[in-house]
Amino acid sequence: MKKISLIALFSVLLLSMTAFVSQNTDGDRLLGVWEPSNGRARVKVEKIGDKYFGRIVWLKEPVEPATGENKTDKNNPDASLRNVPLKGYRNLKDFVYKGGDIWDEGTIYDPLNGNTYSCTIKMTDKNTLDIRGYIGVSALGRTDIWKRLEIKPKKATKK
Amino acid sequence: MRKLHLIFGLTVLAAGQLRSQSDSTGTEDDFSMYNDVDFVDEGAKRYCSPKIEGLSPAQLIYIGYDVQGPYSMKADPLTNRDGNQISGADEMEMAATHGLRLGCNIPVISTTSLVWQMGFNYWQTNFEGMEQALPVGGRNKVIDQHRNAFRTMGLNTTVFKPLNDKQFLLFQGSSDLNGDYTLSNIMPLRYLKYSGAVIWGKRPTEKKQWGVGLARTYRVGELNYIPVFMYNWTDAANKWGTEILFPARAAVRRTINPRNMVFAGFELQGQSYRLYKDETLRPEDLEIRRGEIRLRMEYQFSVKDFLWVSAQAGYRINYRYHSDRLDGGKETLRAFGLVSDAPYAMESTLTNPFYVSISVNLVSP
Repeated sequence: MKKISLIALFSVLLLSMTAFVSQNTDGDRLLGVWEPSNGRARVKVEKIGDKYFGRIVWLKEPVEPATGENKTDKNNPDASLRNVPLKGYRNLKDFVYKGGDIWDEGTIYDPLNGNTYSCTIKMTDKNTLDIRGYIGVSALGRTDIWKRLEIKPKKATKK
Repeated sequence: MRKLHLIFGLTVLAAGQLRSQSDSTGTEDDFSMYNDVDFVDEGAKRYCSPKIEGLSPAQLIYIGYDVQGPYSMKADPLTNRDGNQISGADEMEMAATHGLRLGCNIPVISTTSLVWQMGFNYWQTNFEGMEQALPVGGRNKVIDQHRNAFRTMGLNTTVFKPLNDKQFLLFQGSSDLNGDYTLSNIMPLRYLKYSGAVIWGKRPTEKKQWGVGLARTYRVGELNYIPVFMYNWTDAANKWGTEILFPARAAVRRTINPRNMVFAGFELQGQSYRLYKDETLRPEDLEIRRGEIRLRMEYQFSVKDFLWVSAQAGYRINYRYHSDRLDGGKETLRAFGLVSDAPYAMESTLTNPFYVSISVNLVSP
C-alpha cells in the first residue's frame, strides 16, 4: 500500500514538473534578438531566473554626434547612471510569462527621455511581438511592433 | 524503494539542468555579431515613427487656464440682411478674458503601421467688464452677447499612416461646436464646424521630419482652405530644434534636458462663434469670426514622470473679430478676398493685450 502511495506521489510530482518545464519552454519563445519598428536598436531578450529581460546589443547611431563618444544613458533621471553605456543596457525588465502568448508585469525604458513605462508583451506570431508601453492603464499607451532577427554566421577568416 | 529515490533524484537533477540551460546570467556579448542580421520573416518591413528625437512630448490629457489682460473692443453699427442698421456703434473696455481649457487625446490604435487617436476638447471664454455705462444709443447687440461665456466643445481625430521607413501620411480632423450656448442648453449639432488637414511627409533622419499638405481651417476665424507646411527638427547635440506646423504654429525649441524645454514662437488661434443664446438675435444667423495671433514664450517641464506643466506668456494680436451673417445658412468663403469680398454684418476692432496660460498635462509614451 505504501509503495502504491509513493508511486502515485512520484507520478504527480513528475507530471507537475513536466508541466513546469513545458511552461518554461513556452515562455522561452521570447528569447532571441528583436528589432523595434524604428530600426534604431536591436534588443536581445534573455532569461534570468524565471523572468525575462532585454538589453540593447546594437544601435543604429552608436556614437554621440556632438562628442564623438559612445552613447550613454545621458537622460536617466538618476544622475549617477548617466555614464552607463547604452550598448548593453537592460531596457526590458522583469517580464513574467503569463501563459498563452503574453509576458507581463515588466517595464520598458526609453533612453530618449529617461522614462520607464509599464509594459506588456504579446507574441502575435513566432517572429512578431506587440510591445505595449503604458502609463497606469493600458489605454494610455502605445504599441510598437518588434520583429525577430537571425544573426548571420560569421565568415571564416583565412589565416 | 531505493530505486524510487534514485529515479526521483535523477528527475529533479534533470529538471534543474533544463532550467539552468534556459538561464542567461548576462555573459558579455561580442556586440559586433549583431551588426549583420536578417529578419526571420522575409516580408518584414520597417516603418517610420510619428515622432522624432527631441520633440516635446504629446499630451494625452490636459487641463489649463488662459487669461488675457485688459483690451478695448470697438464695434461698428450692426446691419440686418437689407443693410439697415439694427444696432449702433459701441465701445467696451474689457477688464479681462479668461477661461478653462481641457482636453484629451487617447490612442485607439497604436501600432507600427498605423496610429489612430481620438480626442475631446472643451474651451471656455469669459468676458469681464460688461457692467460699464450704456452708450446713448444703447448697447450694441453683438457686444452685449459677451455677457455670456463663449464655448468650444469638440471631437478630433488624428491618423498617422507610415508608408515605409521614410514617408508618411498624416490626417487630422475635428468637429467643433462654438458659440455662446450654455452647457444646459447646447446648440443643435447642425452648427458644428468641420476642419481638417492632410499632410504627406518625409522623415529622412531620426531628428528631422517635414511635410506638405492642405488644410480646411477656421484658424483665422473664418473658413479657409490653405496649404500647410510641417517641419520638426532637432540638432545633433539635442539642444535646439523647431516644431512647426505653418501657418497654425511655429516655435524654436531650446532643450535644457529632455524634461525641461523652452519655446519661442507663435500660434494662430481662431473660432467661428455662433450667437445662439439671444433668441431675438438668432434669426440674424450671426457668427463672430475670431482670429488671433499669439506671440509667445513657453516653458514645459516634467513635474514627476509623465506629469508635465506648460506655462506660457505672450502678446495676443487681434487678426479679426468681425460678425458675419450666414447666407441661407451657408458660410461665405472669402479666401482672403480672392473668392469674395462680401461685407461683414459688423466689423470690430480690438486692441492687443498680454496673456498668460498654464496647463497640467499627462504626456504620452
